[in-house]
Amino acid sequence: MKYLILGATSGLGRELAYSLAKKKNNLVIISRDERDLKAIKEDLEIQYKIPVQYFELNLSSFEKIQDFFNANPNIINEIDGILMPVGMTIKKDEITNNLEDTNAIIQANLGSIIYFVSKFIPIFIKKNKGTIVGFGSISGMLGRERNVVYASAKRALESFFESLAISTFSTKINTQFYVVGYLDTNLSYGEKTLLPKSSAKKLANIVYNNFNKNYKKIYYPYWWLYINILFKIIPFYFLKIIYKLTNKKINEK
Amino acid sequence: MFEKKKITSFDQNCSLEIFIKNCDKYKELENDSRSVENLITMGSCYSYVAASFKERSLSINIKKFNRILFFDKEKKIITVEAGIKIFELLNFTLKHNLWIPQIPGHPFISIGGAVASNVHGKSCAFYGTIKNSIENIKIFHKYHGWLNLNSEENNNIFDLTIGGLGLTGTIISVTFKLQELNSLNFLTTVKSVKSISQTIDFLESSDDENLIYSWNVIDLASDVNSFGKGLIFENKISQKNNLEFYKKIECTSKKIIFPINLWNNLTIKCFNYLFYNYHKYIKKNLYKDSFSNVVFPFYNKEIYFSLFGHKGFIESQILISKEKIHDFLEELKKNIDYYQPSITLFSLKKMSGEQKYLRFEDNKICLTFNIVKNKKNTHFLNELYKLYIKYNVIPSIIKDSNLDKETFNKCYKEADIFREELKKFDPKRIYRSELSDRLNI
Repeated sequence: MKYLILGATSGLGRELAYSLAKKKNNLVIISRDERDLKAIKEDLEIQYKIPVQYFELNLSSFEKIQDFFNANPNIINEIDGILMPVGMTIKKDEITNNLEDTNAIIQANLGSIIYFVSKFIPIFIKKNKGTIVGFGSISGMLGRERNVVYASAKRALESFFESLAISTFSTKINTQFYVVGYLDTNLSYGEKTLLPKSSAKKLANIVYNNFNKNYKKIYYPYWWLYINILFKIIPFYFLKIIYKLTNKKINEK
Repeated sequence: MFEKKKITSFDQNCSLEIFIKNCDKYKELENDSRSVENLITMGSCYSYVAASFKERSLSINIKKFNRILFFDKEKKIITVEAGIKIFELLNFTLKHNLWIPQIPGHPFISIGGAVASNVHGKSCAFYGTIKNSIENIKIFHKYHGWLNLNSEENNNIFDLTIGGLGLTGTIISVTFKLQELNSLNFLTTVKSVKSISQTIDFLESSDDENLIYSWNVIDLASDVNSFGKGLIFENKISQKNNLEFYKKIECTSKKIIFPINLWNNLTIKCFNYLFYNYHKYIKKNLYKDSFSNVVFPFYNKEIYFSLFGHKGFIESQILISKEKIHDFLEELKKNIDYYQPSITLFSLKKMSGEQKYLRFEDNKICLTFNIVKNKKNTHFLNELYKLYIKYNVIPSIIKDSNLDKETFNKCYKEADIFREELKKFDPKRIYRSELSDRLNI
């Protein structure tokens, strides 16, 4: 099998690449810096003896993604599954963001994924098989002061994957969506979090074990499911109070 | 974003609040290095001393740079990123019956740390230090950027970087020339000796290709003739071409420190008595030994260090010439009789090489001892430093967190040359640690 991983050089993407390589799957890895990609490719090929292709690609640029597909038209036919653990944040993602930043964040976290899916899904439908895995974030559960556009993009992505699941309901295409809490990756490095960070490696194994199963939306770690339910049933006014209290606690920490 | 963290050196003697960043991308490493005035690189943080951190300064942790970048089995060449740990490297190379023979005592030490400390290992009488296996090093320096270092390209920086305590920049990758290892089994011979003098005689007459080290008892009541009775362990690579697969070492170790120190003269005496008599009378004096047992003597025996408690211990490791060792030991014995220090471990082995800059290597006898950290023992150690100067001893700077600038300057003849060369390369002295500040490097 051959899988394509977006954002494969760090955090969850890197763990997924190693998890799939250990199971002897061929890989196509995509990320922003060729040096990181080359290092991972060499390591995977030497250690696991699998062929790895890599492409340097900035997912926050729509034109560059278009160029990538124009330059590599055959890649769509070769891939059995796509995994998109993409997470791009900027230092100051607030309600006052400028248009350039806003577009870049939306493009990287939402637009690029929708575009990749739109390219692969016709082939998967034709083959009546394929795996598509997306990753949301618990930051999309509730409005917030920081990472505003990032959270919005992640919430929109959740909706997109629900639509994708409905659209592929009658096929054998495996669609998975994970709402991910704090992970022990660089995205949350140095952040003081109220709840503990979970292992990206463990999540990578869960993702692999869920290949070829029916549509799943999984909260990782699981307790975020209950927090999400709470958020949905508590009136927004109370949530505002909780938010203020927890935010104060984080700042004090 | 940097994380504020309290980090303690392996010997528990230095605990500082630092800023730390785990980088996993090359761009990130460049940006973070450029964003601060001073920094130092951190591998596994297994150095006895604070070599990878400094108070309120940035430590860039490169543990995610742990990939194998190149491997040629025929040419026996491997290039690895500096964050890879010794055991991870061996888990791979031993599958191909290859290794680097200069392996430090703990498997979790990073390759970058090993190069920056110019580590040796039990095989140092024959194979010397890790310097002898290095073909190429790639570093990143805040101002100089990416540099390739080898005997032809940037040779002077190459020389400064090996054993240079990470002060020339962040070591990113290292290329090694590997050696063949025909068997993963060792035959260990244990021989008892009546004194340190007898140990030295044995070391002098032994076959350097085997891994030989001693374990000596510092019995406070002993006379000069029986001072340092003990055991000599000789590990010989089994000639039987065995296909038994190397048992992979997994990363499971966690540092647990006892709240109080449990090593004192009574417990040391009891332990020494049991250990000596077990090997002399119960265990066979010739037995099969596994690779990890021989190469990593402290792996899964970390409790030895934990028993020192939060106050920790001091390890002093020195190189002394064969001509001077007997006089030195005589004076050492006098100091031991006077101060009655709690010495938990005393060991000798042979070392080969040529001393240069800050590197701990020479054609000398290597003597190692651990002592409990307390006021009395520190006085004892300070007296020993005078002997180190008197007998032209080279003390290891990455082992002894008590070592002062004066002793270091007098014992390391090339300390000033190193300082000058480093200053020429990096006039702003960007890369600094508690260790480099303490020794004014």
